[in-house]
Formats: sequence, C-alpha cells, structure tokens
Amino acid sequence: MHIDINRIATLAKLQLTDDEKAMLERQLPAILDYVSKLQEVDTSKIDAKAYLTTAVNVFRKDVPTSTIDERNAVIAAFPASNGGALEVPGIFVD
Amino acid sequence: MTNWTVRMIRDAVNAGKTSAEAVVSDALRRIDEKDGEIGAFLEVFREDAILAAREVDARVKGGEILPLAGVPIGVKDNMLVTGHIASAGSKMLAEYRATYTSTVVTRLQAAGAIIIGRTNMDEFAFGSSTESSAFQITKNPHDTTKVPGGTSGGSAAAVAAGMIPAALGSDTGGSIRQPASLCGVVGMKPTYGRVSRYGLIADGSSLDQIGPMATTVEDIAIILAVIEGRDAHDATSMSLDEPTVTNLSSPSMKGIRVGVPKEYFIDGMDTEVATRIKEAIETLRQGGAEIVDMSLPLAPYALPTFYIIQPAEASSNLARFDGMRYGTRAAGTLEESYRASRGEGLGPESKRRIMLGTFILSAGYYDAFYKKAVAVRAAMKMEFDAALKKVDVIVGPVSPVVAWGIGEKMDDPVAMYLADVFTVSANILGIPGISVPCGTAHGLPVGLQILANSFDDNKVLQVAAAFEALRQN
Repeated sequence: MHIDINRIATLAKLQLTDDEKAMLERQLPAILDYVSKLQEVDTSKIDAKAYLTTAVNVFRKDVPTSTIDERNAVIAAFPASNGGALEVPGIFVD
Repeated sequence: MTNWTVRMIRDAVNAGKTSAEAVVSDALRRIDEKDGEIGAFLEVFREDAILAAREVDARVKGGEILPLAGVPIGVKDNMLVTGHIASAGSKMLAEYRATYTSTVVTRLQAAGAIIIGRTNMDEFAFGSSTESSAFQITKNPHDTTKVPGGTSGGSAAAVAAGMIPAALGSDTGGSIRQPASLCGVVGMKPTYGRVSRYGLIADGSSLDQIGPMATTVEDIAIILAVIEGRDAHDATSMSLDEPTVTNLSSPSMKGIRVGVPKEYFIDGMDTEVATRIKEAIETLRQGGAEIVDMSLPLAPYALPTFYIIQPAEASSNLARFDGMRYGTRAAGTLEESYRASRGEGLGPESKRRIMLGTFILSAGYYDAFYKKAVAVRAAMKMEFDAALKKVDVIVGPVSPVVAWGIGEKMDDPVAMYLADVFTVSANILGIPGISVPCGTAHGLPVGLQILANSFDDNKVLQVAAAFEALRQN
C-alpha cells in the first residue's frame, strides 16, 4: 500500500524530517498490512457504534464552578498571553 | 517494614502505631537508595509529601479512620496534580504545570494517601516498554538489562523494587497489566466507566482507564474502592451498583466457572510462559474451580482492531498539543508554528501514531479501516457476552513473553505492538482485567490474566485473591 506521507503530515499539521519521512514510508505500510487482517471478518450484519458505554445523554447544569485563581492559573500556563487572553500568531494573513 | 503493603501501613497509621510522616520518610529513603539504578520516578514530591503526611497525622489524631492513611502512592506522569508538572513522558509538556487536580488524586488524598511523585511512562502512553519516554529509560528491578514493560513502566518498577507499596497506572491497551506482569506485581484495569478519567491526559478515549498497581490483590481492592464511582467531571464514569468488596480474606473458587479460550495460547508464544499459565489454571482447578475449555474465534482480531481504533482516537486527542495553549511554542506563522511545535515536541512513536491515525481517518480510507474496526469491535462484544453466559471469568496469559532486553524491539513497531496481543481485548470490550503473578520463566516474572464481564470487577478480584492464596499454600 502506498501512502502519501507529505499529504498525511499536512493533514496532521506535523513537521517531519527527511529521515522521519523515510522511516514512516517503510513502517506505516507494514502496520497497515497487519491491521488489514480485519477484512477477513464478515461485519455485514453488525450495527456498530463507536462507544460501548451504556451511558446516554449525560447532562449537568450549565453553571460556572471555576474560581478566578483557576482562570489565572490557566492563563499563566499559556505560552503567550495578552491582557488575560490567549495570544496566538495571526490567523488571517496575506 | 521491608515487605510493606497498603493494608499494613494504613492499619498501623490508623492505630497510631506509626505515623504517616515516618512512612513517607521511609519511602523517600527507599527511593533515594534504589531509584538511581531503576529510574522509575520522573520527580519525587519530597516537600509536599512530608507536608501532606503531617496533615494526615493530624487527621488521624483527630479521630479519623482513613482507608489509605499514610500510604505513599506514585502516580503516572499523565495524571494531573495542581502545581506539579504533568508531562505525559513528553518533551512537549516538559514544563507544563497542572492547573487542576485529577479526580483519582483528589480521592486518594481525601482517603489519606500521600502522592509521593510522578512515575515514568511512554510518551502519551504509546508503547509497551516505557522506552518511548522523552526523559529516561526505566529498568526492570528483576534484571536491570530488561525493560519494565509499559506504558506504566515507572509505576510497575517503583512498586516491584519496593520503593512504594502502590501506584496508579493507566491502561489503554494493557499499560497497567503488561508492566505488572513483566515486573511481578499485581495490576488491574477496571471496567471502562468505573474510575473517572478527569485529569488524565487522554490517549484513546473509548479505551483509557485508570487503575491501581500494588503487591497484593487486597491492596488493589482497597485502592480501587477509594478511586471508583461516578464523577460529574467525567461523563463516561458510572455510579456503581456493586462497589468493590475489599474484604478478600477467605476467597473461594468453589462453583466458579473459569473459561480458557484456546485462542489465548498462540504460535510464537514463549513455551515456558505457556507452561506457567497452564500450571496456574491447574492450581485454580485444584482450588475447586470448574475449568471450561472454550473458543473466542474473533480474539485474534483484537490487536488489529486496537491498532486502528487507538491511533485514530489518539491522533484526534493529540491535536490539542499544537504549541498554542500548552508547552513550548515554535516561532513562525500560525501554520508553521503548529507544524514545528509538534515536530520538535513529539517523539517517534507519537509521530507514528498520529500519522497512522490521521491516515486511517482520512477521506477514502475511513470506511475500510476505522468503520471496519468499529464493526469488528461490536462483533467481538457480542461474542464475548455470549461466552460469559457460560463462565464467570476467563483466564490466560497477560503477555506472550517475559521482559525483553532494553532496545531490542525499538526498531520494529509491529513486534512491539505484538506484546499487547492478549491485553487489548479488555480495552476493546471495556471489561475489567487483572495481572496477578504466577511464577517465573527464564528467571523473570509471569502474570496470569483474569477477565470478566463489564462491572464484574469483584469477580476478577475474588478469583485473583483466591489464586494468590492457593499459590501461597
């Protein structure tokens, strides 16, 4: 199986070195070959859901419980902040 | 105390025969003495642990009886403790300090336990040997040229070396049970939904579960009883009809039906490991269990199912590590910064899983891989539910091999993934599983795995405790 490593890396927003790309080009097809074994299983009659938990519609009251100290701690943990807000590089750039 | 247990410590502290501070000082001394060689801890919370011990001593003096009075517990580096670094074994989070505390840690502390430090792990809990930690190699205390297993290898090694009586691990595909097996301690993955994951750095969200590691089955039950149950902060956590029974003093195997699936003895499995497991099954039979030979035809598809679902979920969960809100941020435009922050901050196994998961979820491949795996998962659950109508528990090996040499499997991901072949089923099915020591092969520990249906955690503990008692007699 051929995998376009550059395309997947773009989707994953992941910078890879040439060595890493070469390694993944070799390893990913081997892993995908292994997991392709699943095609042997007949699942035509299975109604599948992603989760097995029996919990449904878990609700809670929408009331804030965090304190100002917690808010400040979260902001302090940001790599960059400005006036109590998360600062990021420009999103709309030419 | 040389051979200390959770139960011994908490009884002694509650009775005023020793103090939490004395116990913690002893643990710190043991860590100083042994961890230079083993490398189980990424950080020891020295000052905080002593202060917390003094608080517990004051509570006990005030008349409180605490289920974990003065018990030093290590927590895996992916569980948050306010003010402390939680790095998930990653360079990406090397400096990240938690701004809130995980529910499991809050509950341990309320029960009188002392959080002694954070233990080493494979980066973001991807791996089977703890070698994918960005920080250090942890060694197996039984042979320091061998891996401790993973991903909770630091927790397993710290308990096995006698530095601490118990630790928490997390298990997405075997990450509690497999290192417990390889290090010769007891480790349990509870039912999915039994223990809150609030404050656990997510790996595969439909698979992850936190659980205890200790030296006896009773200690596992004591800790599980403290951390389990509904938590408003984790919508997948459930209120329990049957809380964990901690009194396991006279467990019986009489009338217990033990299923042995033929698929749990595979070609390529170490023959000495297979012999130890068969001897363990014979021990259970002699103890009064009815042994039922059975078949789970879909069991061989568990590992390929896992290595689709886990990378798919993990690649989605790891999207949040983009250098914007946590950890270190690389320079450049937004897009450049995302790519470089992740490229520089993440290690090889994390990149492999992200690439694999992104590919599996990409247009044109989603149906063939992800959707197929979800369907096989549902089929496996139906097969397992039917099988569990005829037996109470299922037993088999935890790992097909004993601890391997450090570095041996790092260049071959598929070989590394095969170490999880018997453990991933419990995560795919959401069921409880335990690893309990059952002897040695090639001089290294072997673990017996006991599985049961969802929320039958007490059955798992009962059989494990009975097996432990039968082995000692």
